Amino acid sequence: MSWLPLSFGAPMVLWGLLALPVIWWLLRLTPPKPQTEVFPPLRILARVLKREETPQRSPWWLTLLRLLMAALVVSALAEPVFNPREKLPAEGSALALVVDNDWASAADWNKRVATAERLINDAGSNGVPVIIAFTAEKPNAEIGPFDAAAALDRLRAARPRPIPTDRPAVYARVAGALEALPGASVAVLADGLAAKGDEAAFNTLLSKNAARVVWAVADRLSLTGLTSAENQVDGFGLTAIRAPGDPAPAQVTAGAFDDKGRRIADATLTFAPGEATATATMAVPFELRNDFASIALDGERHAGAVRVLDESSKRRRVGLLSQAEADQAQPLLSPLYYIRRALQPFADLVEPSSADLADAIPQILDQKPAMIVMADIGTIPAQVRQRLVDWVDNGGTLVRFAGSRLAAAANDDDLLPVRLRTGERSLGGALSWTSPQPVTEFPKAGPFADLAPPTEVTVSRQVLAEPTPDIVERTWAALADGTPLVTGLKKGKGTLVLFHVTPEATWSNLPISGSFVEMLRRIVQLSRNQGAAIASAEAAATSLAPYRMIAADGSLVPPTPDARPLVPGAGALPVTFENPPGLYGSETGVFAHNLLDAASKFEPLARPQVAVPVTTIQYAFDESRNLKGALVSAALLLMLLDTLAVLWMGGLFSRRPRRAGAAATTAAVLIAIGALFGHADIASADDAKPGDQVAIEAISKTRIAYVLTGVPGDDSISRAGLEGLTRFLIEKTALEPGAPAGVDISKDELSFYPLIYWPIDPAAPMPSQAAIARIDAYMQQGGTVLFDTRDQFANGIGADSTSPATERLRDILGNLNVPPLEPVPSDHVLTKSFFILPEFPGRFAGSPLWVEASLDASNADNRPVRTGDGVSPIMITANDFAGAWAVDENGDPLLPTVPNDPMQRVYALRAGVNIMMYMLTGNYKSDQVHVPILLERLGQ
Amino acid sequence: MARIGELQAPAATRDALARGRLRASLVPDLLVEARRIVNTVIAGWHGRRKRGIGENFWQFRPYVEGDASRIDWRRSARDDHTYVRDREWEAAHTVWLWADPSPSMLYKSTGAGVSKQSRALVLALAMAELLSRSGERIAWPDLTDPFTARNGAERIAAQLMHAGELPAKPDLSDIRRFCDIVIVSDFLDPAEETMAWLDVLARHGVRAHLIEVADPAEETFPYAGRTEFTDPETGDKLTAGRAETLSEEYRLLYRARREELAAWCKRLGWSFTVNHTDRLASEALVRLHMAMTADDPTAGRAVA
Repeated sequence: MSWLPLSFGAPMVLWGLLALPVIWWLLRLTPPKPQTEVFPPLRILARVLKREETPQRSPWWLTLLRLLMAALVVSALAEPVFNPREKLPAEGSALALVVDNDWASAADWNKRVATAERLINDAGSNGVPVIIAFTAEKPNAEIGPFDAAAALDRLRAARPRPIPTDRPAVYARVAGALEALPGASVAVLADGLAAKGDEAAFNTLLSKNAARVVWAVADRLSLTGLTSAENQVDGFGLTAIRAPGDPAPAQVTAGAFDDKGRRIADATLTFAPGEATATATMAVPFELRNDFASIALDGERHAGAVRVLDESSKRRRVGLLSQAEADQAQPLLSPLYYIRRALQPFADLVEPSSADLADAIPQILDQKPAMIVMADIGTIPAQVRQRLVDWVDNGGTLVRFAGSRLAAAANDDDLLPVRLRTGERSLGGALSWTSPQPVTEFPKAGPFADLAPPTEVTVSRQVLAEPTPDIVERTWAALADGTPLVTGLKKGKGTLVLFHVTPEATWSNLPISGSFVEMLRRIVQLSRNQGAAIASAEAAATSLAPYRMIAADGSLVPPTPDARPLVPGAGALPVTFENPPGLYGSETGVFAHNLLDAASKFEPLARPQVAVPVTTIQYAFDESRNLKGALVSAALLLMLLDTLAVLWMGGLFSRRPRRAGAAATTAAVLIAIGALFGHADIASADDAKPGDQVAIEAISKTRIAYVLTGVPGDDSISRAGLEGLTRFLIEKTALEPGAPAGVDISKDELSFYPLIYWPIDPAAPMPSQAAIARIDAYMQQGGTVLFDTRDQFANGIGADSTSPATERLRDILGNLNVPPLEPVPSDHVLTKSFFILPEFPGRFAGSPLWVEASLDASNADNRPVRTGDGVSPIMITANDFAGAWAVDENGDPLLPTVPNDPMQRVYALRAGVNIMMYMLTGNYKSDQVHVPILLERLGQ
Repeated sequence: MARIGELQAPAATRDALARGRLRASLVPDLLVEARRIVNTVIAGWHGRRKRGIGENFWQFRPYVEGDASRIDWRRSARDDHTYVRDREWEAAHTVWLWADPSPSMLYKSTGAGVSKQSRALVLALAMAELLSRSGERIAWPDLTDPFTARNGAERIAAQLMHAGELPAKPDLSDIRRFCDIVIVSDFLDPAEETMAWLDVLARHGVRAHLIEVADPAEETFPYAGRTEFTDPETGDKLTAGRAETLSEEYRLLYRARREELAAWCKRLGWSFTVNHTDRLASEALVRLHMAMTADDPTAGRAVA
């Protein structure tokens, strides 16, 4: 089956397909169930049907279906695999798997894992132990031997590390483990990069106990790494390398990121055909360059394509030294004024607190500046001179300006680029016939070569260098007559620069020209910081904690638990498991520890020459698919079809009435489909609840409620009374309540009603505890209950004699949280909320109306109404309000008042109005009544 | 595939009676058939209200010279004329009716409107209705003796309802000469058997009217594919592998049987009518009526 990526696990089973013709013959022999028909002229038919029938045949399509079914089953038994992978022959007593999990394997790590998984699975099916070792792991990591499942767990737990491999050590351990398992297969899953000591490592591993070698390599080494990122004069210089021998040109884009991960610059590196190195310059302004935190190659997902940058490529610290007293009155004459102005934008200026050079120079040197600018300092104190010289030798840049002190001082070979003649030269003075000299073109060799020469600058005084043979190459800028204006000298790792003029505009107008800024900036860029800022004197020798690590996939991550502090010292620091690449230090200053250095090269790993057989495999995902399940499913499906067909031919479905059967079948199929594809629940939220209509009616209008006591006479009087009050309210006030609502306090929602009128009748059943609790809650939540015992004249004469209604009220109130009560005081808002009422009569007169006592309410200012917040949750009367209010349909009073006084009824209705107003407006009315006083106070 | 034919429940006689009356109403009353009045050749057939050969007195008429009739001397003696006694033509004619009750008659195919049994019963009762309406004596072999009644069809229907199991082939031997018999059946037995059964009628000089009730499926044989045929009478089963291949030959045999039977009837002067259950019963009724009234016994022989 070369034309199909198909293989069979048990190809012998395919011979079973030969049975298909037999099956076909058998199927043809088996007739389907005949259609049965009643046929009266059978005897006539019998004469026709003399000869015996050949066995009836199944319909051809049924036969085909069954043959197909049989073929599918046979194929499924043969374990077909689509896109098969090569199974490694089962050899060896064990499988030793050495996997490179270094940075170069990160890009296609999943493929490597898939490949290793296959090897382990094969080993598992062969039942041999597995040794699995990773070359970029802790040196004491366990390597086995494991069984296949444990090895798979280890494999899945392994991650690529952003560090190089340590093949010799790991291979030695594996070789040691193989001592006990001679004749093992050794699978080398290498990353393809050669490293130091490879040959010896492979020798150790493969020479003795390996029976055969499985050598897995990547198709080709397609790594691109960033070996250097240098902050250069005019931009950021980048160097990238790739594996040698790639004949195709290639282009990679590098991006620069700031410390927040924002991309701020780009550069394209182009590999010429066959070249392994590419360079580019990221030409971005200096200020932007200082923000670079890392540089990464696009599309390369490994640690080698990322470089982190530290302070050495950022802002320089520049120390400023001067011996002139700073004269704040004349800043323009201060020697450091122009230098400071020129350097401030792109350098951190460090100035000593002390003017004494012996203190100032160590102070500045402790800050590890990149550059020290000395404005006209002649002699440097001897005790600090050596430190300064050492600093220059270690890479410091010392920039000195001339002046009268320097001109008078002795020559200092260590700290001056040229020998100077004593005294200065004056040009164009009153006693001189020469004119001030302009500056000529900058010498090509010098660092200022590409700057525009400052033609407007003239120099009238300067110090002169002794002419020496090498004066020309030390000259960075010269005057038109050839005398040096700026001289420079590399000394050790450092640089000495001398401006032959003063830093202020007395000797020349150079300090006030734009070129001065350019020149200083250029020199600053040439300088290098001499250490991290945090590297204060005592911290310099200590270690740096991991700060930001480069992960194997090239991203910057917080440090892993494995990372150990880095001890910066002399020489290159190796990237190890303990010190993965990344930034070390802290937020205030970091040290960049990068994977690749400028000398790095990608050398492809050569396959070691060994005596044992070697199988080379490629890293690949396992794309094989076992078709057995699919084939069995298809066979089952066909079986189902066959069953349906047989049933259909047997007339199962035709027995039912056709129409009903079809409908039922359709319905069943639809239901089945519906069940298969889940419930398409129509979430039409029907949130209607019983009683909604009542609630809507209750709250769409203000309604006064009364308690249905269950005594018919009471309830109808309550209703008629509230009806009468409602009419009166509509007539007299702006309030237009709806029809009174009778509420069952044990069931109905009470919170819709501002006031509930409760006639107490001893004949009514005692409300349940739950109902009283509801009333209690209603009162707590702001409702008011008006209890009416209607027994003003039923009480006995004695003080302690009580009517049954009062007894009942006491029983009810015993279960309520009743606040302290008082009869309505004369200055209570109830007396004034609409009508001014001294008392509150109902059908009877004389009973006080009890309300919640406003004890702390004061009425200091002799106001007509006491102040006080809130509405009384309870009112108690015995005057039978409802009886007085009650009217029939014609509006005529139902019950006589006692005594029969028409005005008493009017007062009763007014009392009702006041109570309703008090319910609905609260203490607003008590404020309202103060308006005249307020107006009076305002002087109206 | 839906089944083509099935056995129906036996048609209710009451229902068949109603339908038979309906059918009968579509046929002209036998009495008003003019030709019947003219043709007296056939003894016993209606020539009523007319002188003729008979037993009952019809009229006296004056003797005319050459009159072959005998003179009725008793009457002639009363006056000077000689009279001849004419007798009324004897019209007491007996028609036997029989519808096949065998299970094979219960067959009804999808193309047919009713089962054969239902159709046969309808035809027989329609005949009974017609005949009794016109005053004929009707009878049902093995069920009733000849009788005359206006509600003859009803009486027969009632008798059929209360009768138990009737023999598949009734005893026809006591049917006299000059009687008519209407046999409604499917005649699916081999022609020889049928002829042997009916031979006694021929020997007795009974005039028979055969109505073959045929289901269209029996005639056209619309079966195809593997089919198992069951005989409703015997329960025999026959399995045809590919029924469609048999249809041609079957139809040939089926027709041959019918032709043979029809030819035999024609020879005997009987009528042979075919009625398909997908056609109207009235068609057969009209043909039968024509056959009963026609001179030519073969006039009714047409395939309806």
